Amino acid sequence: MTHVMQEGGPPDGAQLARMIVRIAVERDRQAFAALYSHFAPRVTAFLRKSGLPPNMAEEIAQDVMLTVWRKAEQFDPARAGASTWIFTIARNLRIDHLRRVRVATSAEQVEPEEIETAPSGEALMLASERESTVRAALAALSDEQAMVLRLSFFGDKPHSEIARELGLPLGTVKSRVRLALGRLRALLEGET
Amino acid sequence: MTIRHHPTDESLMRLAAGSLPAGPAMVVATHLAGCPQCRERVAEFEALGGILLEESAPVPMAPDAFAAALRAIDAEETRAAAGKTARPAAKPRAGRAPATLPGGIPLPEPLRDCEIGPWRWIGIGVRASAVKMPDDPEARLTLLRVGPGRKLPEHGHFGTEFTQILVGSFTDEFGRYMPGDLTEMNHDIEHQPIVDPDGECICLAALEGGMRMTGPFGRLIQPFVRL
Ligand SMILES: [Zn+2]
Repeated sequence: MTHVMQEGGPPDGAQLARMIVRIAVERDRQAFAALYSHFAPRVTAFLRKSGLPPNMAEEIAQDVMLTVWRKAEQFDPARAGASTWIFTIARNLRIDHLRRVRVATSAEQVEPEEIETAPSGEALMLASERESTVRAALAALSDEQAMVLRLSFFGDKPHSEIARELGLPLGTVKSRVRLALGRLRALLEGET
Repeated sequence: MTIRHHPTDESLMRLAAGSLPAGPAMVVATHLAGCPQCRERVAEFEALGGILLEESAPVPMAPDAFAAALRAIDAEETRAAAGKTARPAAKPRAGRAPATLPGGIPLPEPLRDCEIGPWRWIGIGVRASAVKMPDDPEARLTLLRVGPGRKLPEHGHFGTEFTQILVGSFTDEFGRYMPGDLTEMNHDIEHQPIVDPDGECICLAALEGGMRMTGPFGRLIQPFVRL
């Protein structure tokens, strides 16, 4: 029997990545159970924050976890960490869902196409290095800038939603998003 | 090829987050295909997505959710063991895009599954072709082919227009745009790009936000952009 969870506390990134690899290699259901209990509730929360109704968020989260099971062998820890990989699956299924709603009348089912955003070759930083750089940059932002960044990441209409949440005029929000992203960029480039 | 004009960080973040509409997302994807620097930036924003996912406060699933996931896996594996494929093989796409742009230039890779409409005259020295994305037929995406010295069609002061230069070049008050460059023209900035005199310019354009075309070009191009 494999030991998938350490005592106390959630599993760290390396443990999560090993679970996905075990699913890929051994079809290890115990690893899947541990991964599910960690990610399914977080993916649901994440999808709700991005504006999906609760039942739909849970349905898509379920689909995300099944996709993790099916596509585990496509996971490459050198390209993306476990959370980042699962985030991209959730993002793509959410896009598919929103499109499906929009074109529900068209009879033909089309293959979901993933817009190619994966880095390849040349500028490839090691995934773990990239993630710790981004994490450090996020931590170094002021509380207000970090909040602006989180809100604009989740919103479909970022500026108007942030304006409403913060009770600020639209123009002010636009410049704050720009400033927060500029600061993040400066931090990312200073770190590398 | 030196790329001098890139999408804004905000657009790259929204692409990574999945909130950029399909048309602009395709224009930015066309830029990414030739720009390793922006691909790395998108990877950083995806890593940010992973961090935000990780820090989301967990929401409990329905009590039988995990059991349902295992049943779905069992059903798939039973089908696989019985030698049936889980899904039918993908049908070849109808209406394949032509492999090249005018002048024999290859179509950018991200556009390979799109349906490229016929070139239509929409004004002196300006032709447009509606691009249909298979996964989002309602998305408005246009190829523009503008003659040397001609203005790019104007749009109203509403929304942001994403334009990726594929062939040739144009110049506006902010600089010169060459193949591989992407410009985001915002409604709050006055601009009038003019194609450089040394040859025609072909670019891929999509508008985010409502479309209100002005002037004779606008009225002519509107139906095509809406296609
Ligand atoms: Zn770029």
